[in-house]
Amino acid sequence: MQPFTYAAPTSLAETITLLGQNGEQARVLAGGTDLLVQLKENRRQAALVIDVKRIPELNVLSYSVRDGLRIGAAVSCQRICAEPAIRQAYPGLIDAVALIGGAQIQGRASLGGNLGNASPAADSIPALIVHHAVCEVAGPAGPRDIPAEAFCVGPGKNALQPGELLVSIRIPPPPPRFGAAYLRFIPRNEMDIAVTGAGVSVVLNEAGDTILSARVALGAVAPTPLLAQEAGAALAGQPVTPDVIEQAARIAQRAAQPITDMRGTAAQRKHLAYVLTRRALEQAIARA
Amino acid sequence: MAIGISLPRIDARPKVTGEALYPGDINLPGQAYAKVLWSKRPHARVRAIDTRAAQAMPGVLAIFTGDDVPVNEYGLITFDAPVLIRPDVTYQTRDGEQHRSASVPNPKSQNAKSFDGVVRHVGEKVALVVAETEQIAAHARELIRVEYEDLPAITSMHEAIQPGALQVHPHYPGNVIKHYRVRKGDVQAGFAQADVVVEDTYFTGAQEHAYLQPEAGLGYLDEQGRVTVIVAGQWTHEDQQQIAHALDLPLDQVRVIYPAIGGAFGGREDMSVQIILALAAWKLRRPVKIIWSREESIIGHHKRHPMWFHARLGAKRDGTLVAAQVRLMSDAGPYAYTSAKVLGNATVMAVGPYDIPNVAIDSQTVVTNNLPTGAFRGFGAPQSLFVAETQMNKLAAALKMDPVELRLKNALRDGSLTVNNTPIPPGCTIAEVIQQCAARIQSNPASNPKSKIQNPKSRVGRGFACGHKNVGFSFGAPESCEATVELHGHTEIERAVVYHAGADCGQGAHTVFVQVAAQALRLPVEKIELVASDTASSGNSGSASASRMTFMASHAIFGAAHAALEKWQDEERPARAHYIYRPPPTSAMHPDTGAADPNITYGYVAQSAEVEVDTETGQVRVLRLVCADDVGKAINPQQVVGQIEGGVVMGLGWTALENFVQRDGHVLTEHLSTYLIPSVMDIPDVVESVVVENPDPHGAMGIRGMAEMPLLVVAPAVVAAIHDATGVWVNQLPVTPERLLDALERVNTTQ
Ligand SMILES: Cc1cc2nc3c(=O)[nH]c(=O)nc-3n(C[C@H](O)[C@H](O)[C@H](O)COP(=O)(O)OP(=O)(O)OC[C@H]3O[C@@H](n4cnc5c(N)ncnc54)[C@H](O)[C@@H]3O)c2cc1C
Repeated sequence: MQPFTYAAPTSLAETITLLGQNGEQARVLAGGTDLLVQLKENRRQAALVIDVKRIPELNVLSYSVRDGLRIGAAVSCQRICAEPAIRQAYPGLIDAVALIGGAQIQGRASLGGNLGNASPAADSIPALIVHHAVCEVAGPAGPRDIPAEAFCVGPGKNALQPGELLVSIRIPPPPPRFGAAYLRFIPRNEMDIAVTGAGVSVVLNEAGDTILSARVALGAVAPTPLLAQEAGAALAGQPVTPDVIEQAARIAQRAAQPITDMRGTAAQRKHLAYVLTRRALEQAIARA
Repeated sequence: MAIGISLPRIDARPKVTGEALYPGDINLPGQAYAKVLWSKRPHARVRAIDTRAAQAMPGVLAIFTGDDVPVNEYGLITFDAPVLIRPDVTYQTRDGEQHRSASVPNPKSQNAKSFDGVVRHVGEKVALVVAETEQIAAHARELIRVEYEDLPAITSMHEAIQPGALQVHPHYPGNVIKHYRVRKGDVQAGFAQADVVVEDTYFTGAQEHAYLQPEAGLGYLDEQGRVTVIVAGQWTHEDQQQIAHALDLPLDQVRVIYPAIGGAFGGREDMSVQIILALAAWKLRRPVKIIWSREESIIGHHKRHPMWFHARLGAKRDGTLVAAQVRLMSDAGPYAYTSAKVLGNATVMAVGPYDIPNVAIDSQTVVTNNLPTGAFRGFGAPQSLFVAETQMNKLAAALKMDPVELRLKNALRDGSLTVNNTPIPPGCTIAEVIQQCAARIQSNPASNPKSKIQNPKSRVGRGFACGHKNVGFSFGAPESCEATVELHGHTEIERAVVYHAGADCGQGAHTVFVQVAAQALRLPVEKIELVASDTASSGNSGSASASRMTFMASHAIFGAAHAALEKWQDEERPARAHYIYRPPPTSAMHPDTGAADPNITYGYVAQSAEVEVDTETGQVRVLRLVCADDVGKAINPQQVVGQIEGGVVMGLGWTALENFVQRDGHVLTEHLSTYLIPSVMDIPDVVESVVVENPDPHGAMGIRGMAEMPLLVVAPAVVAAIHDATGVWVNQLPVTPERLLDALERVNTTQ
């Protein structure tokens, strides 16, 4: 690990100035569960590490039935999972957040970091996408919103411009009869990077027998977490039947464009995209 | 009674509180730091090593290569591996300059310079940098320029034995280190009598020891000027000998000390940092410290042998075994390490613990440019038993016979002739552990845990397997264990000091030594003081391996204690006695028939596994594992259960998770994030240890060796359970989800 300077600003303005002054030399630190590992292994270099855990806006965690959920980018997974109201309103999001690492990792890891690290296999991102999450960004040119599905642009690359910072994530209140779920496959029971992940959400009609709208997002099957629009579209307006679910899962399987690496082959990942999408849909419908 | 009780481990408190010092925790004033320059190439000729830029860096103290090692060779069985690399002597660099010409090899070098100038695997140590700080050493390492000429790499055993294949090592013509031939009865006639024959090809993968503590140590000159290495190993006196050989020093100029050891499992049997630390400290006359990263550890020590098998097993309709034939081959990597011994074991255990009249086994261990392989808990037996027991389970299925009944019908019993055509050593209890394991499943079905996968595509199944393995060194290798006991006091013994070199790798050996001494001396354990694991204070104990330490050390400590008590009676103060235990001799296998008394005695185990398989993802969850292990006499029952539970989990890792991948000689799983070992969440809900206590006639107080046994047959039990659940046999380990899914699909599409 190369030596670096550490800064812990307490305001957004100060942080944006620091980021602007230091450009590529600076890196934001939230929980550090990605960044510190990468610095130690010399996979990333930074002359300045900016700890954002003291900035109030990044520590917000608020939920109301009317306004929905706002999660500060530096809030730990543990804090999110500990809120009964959030657990109840967004079980499909909790599926993903509670999977990240183990207890120790969750005490540090943030969703800002999960997004910022922009891994194709990041667990929270498919779940955020199917919840219509919006990333609230601040920067030298002022605040702007980026939809979760547009936040990652390549492996390890995100849509932030130089000097920009992710402040919080906004998730709309769930509409009536909304259900979501996230499933991932790993060979062991914890502490592993997804071979494949699938997040889904559905909104059912009042009778609960027809899908009004749906979203399907996949992890670890493309250079970025992938919103499988065709799969969601295929569900909209369809009756809740095993056939419909099967069809959508097959479309998700076709949308997956995985590579073969140490964690799995492309064929296995495509197969898992199907299995996990189908199972997640069954679960989301049951929750709706 | 000091034995048969679960005395808390004597190292429990210091380990839990962090007081215990492991090699990486120990520092001396003025110490320098060393880093290894790794070859990272599977096969290449080293034309030149240019150390000038590195040498010129401020803070660099020395850079050592093969030229600096007096006798540049090491190896547990034969000296066939270089300590560091010596560039090819005949070479001048392109600019005509002679960079370093190798010195004339030391005449004591048994292998002269036959293996000079070549790196044969990616974990070869090319050079050692020593500097004032770890950072400088790491930086200087990057400045060393090595001129390599890449050679084609042989990375498959089958390729290695092709006629005309490239020779990996000059000592091993045809790329074969060792082969064995076992013939008992007439195998052809045997198969002619068979009503049913099962036949298949199997493959088992490499395994990384993944001990908690990567290699680390400190070399220095002690107060008597001896070159001293504080390190984690398995056999202090063997380390001492190999250091003395490489440094060309008399034995008494070398001292090896083990502090707390963070796991070993066979992975510390061969040299890692021992010789290089001694070399640096000796040359620089200054303490030198090294700590390997996890990634260095993974390429820096040997692995469990990958093995290939072709096996046939024949039986009569009633289940009586009539013939067995096995061909097997193990991948040794480029150097021998313990490969020939592991192969011997795999050969002896190749048809399982059964009385089979007609047997033919042909085995060989082959050199390649993969990582070296060697000792790993079970030492060849797990691979063979996976095959032998899967063959038995397939046979049971073919005969529609209960697998337990089939085993009991054919189990070795006292007086049975083994594959080596000699009687199994007395006290053979394979039938007993089979019965005890089966009884536990029957009597306790209510403990069946609930489904973990909870989806309609999951299937549950149960499988059974059993096995045996030698305790102690085999095939005529010198086998002994020393202990010294010293009794202090006047009228009463106030304090007893036990000197013993035996390594406590984390298995609890030292606690057992104290309990055995207390028992032998009839003293409370508080009065026993143990001075352990230092060549300067104790005689040779042999290694903590082959499930032998409790078995051997108990004899030695008993002997020394009784001798000391006699001297105490004779009023010697302190009364001090030394004792060497030598077990009954063993013998090497006959080259044509395999006839031998290969082992002192054996340990016996039986297991039953219950698994749940997600047939859509290929994931396997082990729900319940019952392990019946005959330990003879449990000195410390808690530790016995600890060994069973740990061994079972380690076996599960090898069976289903740990996929060590090497491609073209390069390791693709050098992080613990890609080489997946079981985590706490992967442990079965229920692991039932059935501790069987049938005294071994050869054991002090009936003790048997036990610590490898729980790992031996996890794989065949789980694979049989997967078959019971899904109807599919998997012939390759590890059973990764993808492999299982492939097997399931093959079956589904052919149906
Ligand atoms: C043992 C272990 C297990 C893990 N298991 C999982 C898992 O199961 N699933 C999973 O998805 N991940 C896993 N991870 C990865 C990691 O924990 C997650 O990605 C986590 O969410 C990162 O959050 P963090 O707060 O620690 O990020 P940090 O390491 O602090 O930051 C990560 C990256 O995001 C950038 N960043 C952080 N905050 C901001 C911000 N506000 N604005 C802009 N950029 C920012 C940083 O500069 C850095 O590049 C694991 C990691 C470890 C070490």
